[in-house]
Order: sequence, then structure tokens, then C-alpha cells
Amino acid sequence: MMRRLTVWATLAAAAWRIGAGMPQSPADDPSLPRLEAALSSAPDDLRAGNDYRMAIIRTGQYDRALAFFETLATEHPDAANAHLNYGFAYVDKIPTAGSISQVILANRALTEFSRALELRRSWIGYYTRGNSYLYWPKIFDRTRLGIADLEEALRMQQADEAHAYHVRTFIALGDGHWIMDEAEKAKAIWRAGLEQFPDNAALKTRLGATPSALKALINDTYDSSRRVDTNLEELWAR
Amino acid sequence: MTLPWTAAAAAAVVLTLGLPSGRTSIAFEEIGVKARVAIRHHTRVFKGPYADVLGTFTSGGAAVAVADYDNDGLEDVFLTDSGAGMHCHLLHNDGHLHFTDVTAAAGVGGGNDRNAIVSDALWFDYDNDGRPDLLVARFGTPILYHNERNGTFKDVTAQSGLAAFANTIAVVAFDYDNDGRLDLLFGNYFKPVNLFDLGDPHVLPTDLDNAANGGGVTLWRNAGGGRFEDATARAGLARHTGWTLDVGHGDFNNDGLPDIYLACDYGTDRLFLNNGDGTFREVTAKAIGFDTKKGMNVDVADYDNDGWLDVYVTNITDEYMRECNMLWHNNGDGTFTDVARETGTCETGWGWAAKFGDFDNDGWTDLFVVNGLRSAGPETYIPLMLDMIVKPGVDFSDLRSWPAIGNRTWSGYQRKKLFRNAGGQAFQEVAAAAHVDNDRDGRGIGLGDFDNDGRLDWIQSDANQAALMFHNVTRGAGHWIELKLIGTRSNRDAVGARVTFETPSRTLIREVNGGNGYASQSSTRMHVGLGADAVVRAIRIRWPSGLVERVAAPVDRITTVREGDAR
Repeated sequence: MMRRLTVWATLAAAAWRIGAGMPQSPADDPSLPRLEAALSSAPDDLRAGNDYRMAIIRTGQYDRALAFFETLATEHPDAANAHLNYGFAYVDKIPTAGSISQVILANRALTEFSRALELRRSWIGYYTRGNSYLYWPKIFDRTRLGIADLEEALRMQQADEAHAYHVRTFIALGDGHWIMDEAEKAKAIWRAGLEQFPDNAALKTRLGATPSALKALINDTYDSSRRVDTNLEELWAR
Repeated sequence: MTLPWTAAAAAAVVLTLGLPSGRTSIAFEEIGVKARVAIRHHTRVFKGPYADVLGTFTSGGAAVAVADYDNDGLEDVFLTDSGAGMHCHLLHNDGHLHFTDVTAAAGVGGGNDRNAIVSDALWFDYDNDGRPDLLVARFGTPILYHNERNGTFKDVTAQSGLAAFANTIAVVAFDYDNDGRLDLLFGNYFKPVNLFDLGDPHVLPTDLDNAANGGGVTLWRNAGGGRFEDATARAGLARHTGWTLDVGHGDFNNDGLPDIYLACDYGTDRLFLNNGDGTFREVTAKAIGFDTKKGMNVDVADYDNDGWLDVYVTNITDEYMRECNMLWHNNGDGTFTDVARETGTCETGWGWAAKFGDFDNDGWTDLFVVNGLRSAGPETYIPLMLDMIVKPGVDFSDLRSWPAIGNRTWSGYQRKKLFRNAGGQAFQEVAAAAHVDNDRDGRGIGLGDFDNDGRLDWIQSDANQAALMFHNVTRGAGHWIELKLIGTRSNRDAVGARVTFETPSRTLIREVNGGNGYASQSSTRMHVGLGADAVVRAIRIRWPSGLVERVAAPVDRITTVREGDAR
């Protein structure tokens, strides 16, 4: 067992070293200049920005992305999705930072998400900012803001044609209520989600979990030291 | 040749013959008031515009140091205070778990001057005369007291050469150059600025995850004749400029030489291996990697009995910051793996001292951890701190950037953690069941067998609060051996001596350390639990001098062993 534990821990340590900014040797992705050029010519293209960030994650060049998006957002201040991707670029860097730097990065991400929403109200904007608030420890009193955003996202999706990714709102909004010790509200939201998405495993798990298992699940879900999946490709899936 | 314990205290030895079933429950009773060690510590109160912030940043100096300073066979205690004009306390163990404050007669109460704050304390026999001397570390110049053998101490700081200013928070004694004299490694928090007379308010960490503007360390080589010389640069330690909160030593690569682990606030810990020629080489990158945590404590032990010394470091794991502690498993190949999460030793709040000790004598080293920064009013400081942290362009190093804390609580009222070692692969948290889960603002842990019954007790020092004493009342604890090692060619305290115990069940290693663990020094008398093994097949001592001796020692007894007498 010790060997298994040690092997597991070695892998974890390796991941942690990456996270802690150990010198890596990121292979320069030759596609980065091309992706940057594409974004420069279409700064509001959410998908192009997403493709670029995914390439950045593969190479670990987070500061390059932040510098690029800063310039892009400055040069195109009205491009809402440039700000949205800029915010995601901060989120992408969080796992590589120390605990205090993580707070700073997360806060800068929120600033960009808010700017994007000021420019254009959108489901993805509200869902993203609302979900981001849930990662903040309760003591910072931001969970309520997250619930408000997610409720707005829910209203928007109910007025829109149905998409598979809309289930995310039910999951996150229920989680927000659960974090606020509003278990009944959480269950009601999850149940409503299950009615619309009857096969969703995440909702079933939440509704079937014991309180202690649910606590562990929520803690694990919103563990800020782990990488948050910011890949938006689900938005374009058919 | 081994010498049976002959001091008067030998009569107090209790044979603890109960056989451990593996289900023995660790149990303690808190007897601080009854034992007369419940002395309140005071943190320093500053004046002026930065008073509030400086008070918080210097609130770590509640320390405890354990040693038998008068060689009567009973472990005595030194407790620090940090308040202006407040005295530290030397507590003489009278036996039967009763202590008498002998500070005034001993002359060791001083240190909290207008321009200095007592921060740590250390017993070590710097002149090898057989009586532990006392070093009082300070935010300021240290104080070295020579033990005059008659219950009094003499301030010999001036002639020692140690009178150099540093904002020291931790100190250990070890013989890094194996010349038979104990040297000193100081861990310094702030860079060497006088906190009482600040012209420039930029004295705090420039970065809260990767700061390099701290005090680093200072290595003082014992040159003999009561003189110390600064060997920091020569030893290769001057390039470390982090915010050192604790320093620890141990032979991590089993080459017979003491190595160094530095726990640092606001940035990476550091590991240095001893080259054997008076210098060290840094192996941080390969051995442990670089971290961004808030390292608070270094304690060293072989928790999984694999023959390699491991390291435990506390960090901050609270509602608002989830760093996780580090239990560095020594892989034996120059690398360590952090197994804190896997072993269940990750979360202890705002951690301070942590000490390994076999509290149920089952042959597996347990772990006690104290925590808590500031227990005060109902409001918390965290939201104020958040506003500061996320303020664009904020300069963390500027005292003026930090909001006043007032009467707010900051990671306070935290329950202490006792981890029972479950066979070297996991730990079970049993603090409440063992009656040690107090919520004081703990700082140090001084382990010692204060009643010579073979079960490890401890004293917990607390910031701005009274110390606690935990008497081990575990029923059915296993067999044990305690060794008081006396160096002759090696340093007299035998710091660095490695003892290997071969029992029918397992092989155990223990090493004498000179003050590992934040704000605390445990007894140098070696304690080992043997579980159900009533016999020990072999005891081998590797002295710092290099001499290896095979000795015999009776089980369930305290035995004194003098270097070279076994030949």
C-alpha cells in the first residue's frame, strides 16, 4: 500500500511542482502566433479566444496569454468576449500560483467577467461569473453574488432554446444554495434540473448523496487549488 | 558500557508494562495550573502608527524549551515572554509534576527590552562542561547565559561574539562541522531592521507567496573558548533571504552529517545537505521542489520506520486559504514526496509547532500540532485583508498598506490536532478523545517525560495566553526505553547522535536534535516506544564523532550512555 501511496503522491507532487511554477520546458506551440493573429482580427470571437487559451494551457505560457489579452482588451475595449477570455486566462493561471496570488488572479478574472457583462448581457457571461463566485470561500461573502448571477443565467436560458450545457446552471445554482446552507433550495433546483435533464449524472449524484458525501463533493468541486475546466467547446457542440 | 540511571529521580521511574493491543487510546490530562506552569505569555505591544500591524507580525514568540539544567534527573522548563518589561520563566521540576519558578535566583528572566523582543529559547551545552547553557533568541541581539552549576546563570553574550543584531524567530544547536562543539543556526524573520525605530515602513514581505526580502539565516560556528563566529557565507547559506520561521536539522541522506531544512513564510522552504567540509549545498529543487506556502515548523522523524528521516512542515489551511501541511516522506534517493493529504495530516488550521513523539509507545511515531493565530473578538480580519490584497498596485511590504486588526480575530479559536500513527501509512486524528483539543493560540510544544514514567508529556506555549501542560495518562502504553546520551568526543549533548533499536518486531531509528520544531525545544533525552516487545535485540549508537557503539539498555528504564564506554 505504501508503494501505491507513494507512487500516487509522486504524481501529485509532480503536478504540484508544475503548479508551483517549477521551471518547465514548455514546447513553444507553433500555432500560437497564428491563433493570436486570428484573435487580433476578430477580438470578439469567443471560440477563437477559447482555442487560443487551450493552446496556452498545453504550453504553460499563461503570462503570454495575459499579456496578449490585456493588449487585445485595451485595443478593443468594446469586445465583450475579449474581456471574457481575458478573465478565463486569469482563471487558467490560478493553479500555478501561490495561495495569495490565486486570490489576486481570481479577483482580476471577476473584474474582466464583469466588464464583459457590462458590454453585453449573455448567458455565458452570467454563468461564468456566477460560477466563479462559488469558488470563493464563504467567509468572503461572495456566494450570494454568485447565486444572483446564476439565477439570471437561468432566466435567460428559460427564454432561449434548450441546450445541453444549460444543465450547468442548475448544478451550480443548487451548489450555491447548498454552500449557503440552503439545502432545500439546493435540492429544489437540482430536482428542477433533473426534470429537464433526466440523465444528468451530476444532478443525480447530488440528490442521492448523504450530507457528508455531498459536503465532500462540493468541497472537491470548488477546490480552488485544482484546475478549473474553462474549455467552452461544449457551447459549439452539436 | 551503559550506566543505569542513578539520579534521585530514578526512584520515580514507573514500569509501564501494559501491552499495546493496537487499540490503546492515547490520553492526557491538562495539569498546567496544578503543576504551576500555567504562566501567561504576552505579545509585544508597539507604539506609533504601525503598532497594530507590527504587533501581529511579531506575535510568534511564545516559546518553550525543555532540559534538565541541574542534572537532577528531572526535566526542567524555560518559558519565554515577549511583553515589554515582562520576564521569561525558568521552572525547576521538583518531582511529582510540580514546578517552582526559580527565574529570579537563576538570573535568566531578562530580554524584553525597549528595543528587543524575546522570541525563542534553546538549551545547549556550548562549552561541554556537562551543564546545559541557555540561549535566548530575540528580535534584537541574542542573550547567551552560561550555567554556573549552582542554580545561577551568567550572561556571557558580550564575550561570545553573538551580539549581532537580527530579527531571530528560531534557533537550533547542532554540530555542523563535527568538531565536538555545538554550533547555532538562527532563523531570521524580518531583515535586520530595528522594528522599534522604523524610518522606512517597507519592512514586510514584498510578495505573499514568493518573498525574498526576509532575514534568511545566520550560522554561528562555535570556535571554542566560549566564542562564536559568523560562518553563514562560508557555509553557503547567505544567499537564502527568505522569511525564515523555523529551522530544523537531521541526517536526511544517512551519511552521518547533519543537514538543514528551512521552513519559510511567504515562499519556498529550502533544503541543504552537508558537504562534510563546513559547507552546505542546496538541493531544494531536486529534493522537495519550490513551494509558495507559509512554512511554520520543521520537525524531523522516521514516521514510517523505513530508516530514513522524514520532515513535517505546517502551513496555513483555513477556510480562506487551503495550502495543506507537508509531510515529506524521505524516498531515500535524494528526493522527498509530500504525503500529507494521503496520510491525513494535511489540515491543521493556521499551524505553528508540530512535534513527533510516540505517545502510546507502540513503536510508531505520532504527531501533535498546535495552531491558531489570534483569538479575539467576534469579527474576523479576513474581509479587511481581502480588500487589501486585491487592491490594484498594493505594496505588501508597506506597513501602511495593511489595515489595522483592532480586536478582530484572525484564524483564532482553532482546535489542536493529535495524529495517531496507524502503522506508518496513515494517521488518525484523536485530539478530542485524548483531551488535548484546546483552542488556545498555540505556538510551541516542548516534549519531555516530566515524571519519568516512560510516557511522553508536553508543555504547550501559547501567544498572549497561559501555557498548558499535558500529562500523559495513556493506559496500556507499550514498553519503552529512554537514553540520556553523553558525548565525550562528540558534543556533550550528543546532538546528532543516531540510535538504531532492533526489536523482534521492527527496526527503529531515533536522532537527538538540538531544538527542532517552531518556538520549542524538546528534551534531548531519547525516547522510544517498543510496543509489545519486551526485549531489544540490539541498540547501536552512531555518535556525531563517527564512533559506532553497540550498547545494552534495559526495557522500561531510563539509561545513561557515555560515548566510548561500550568499548
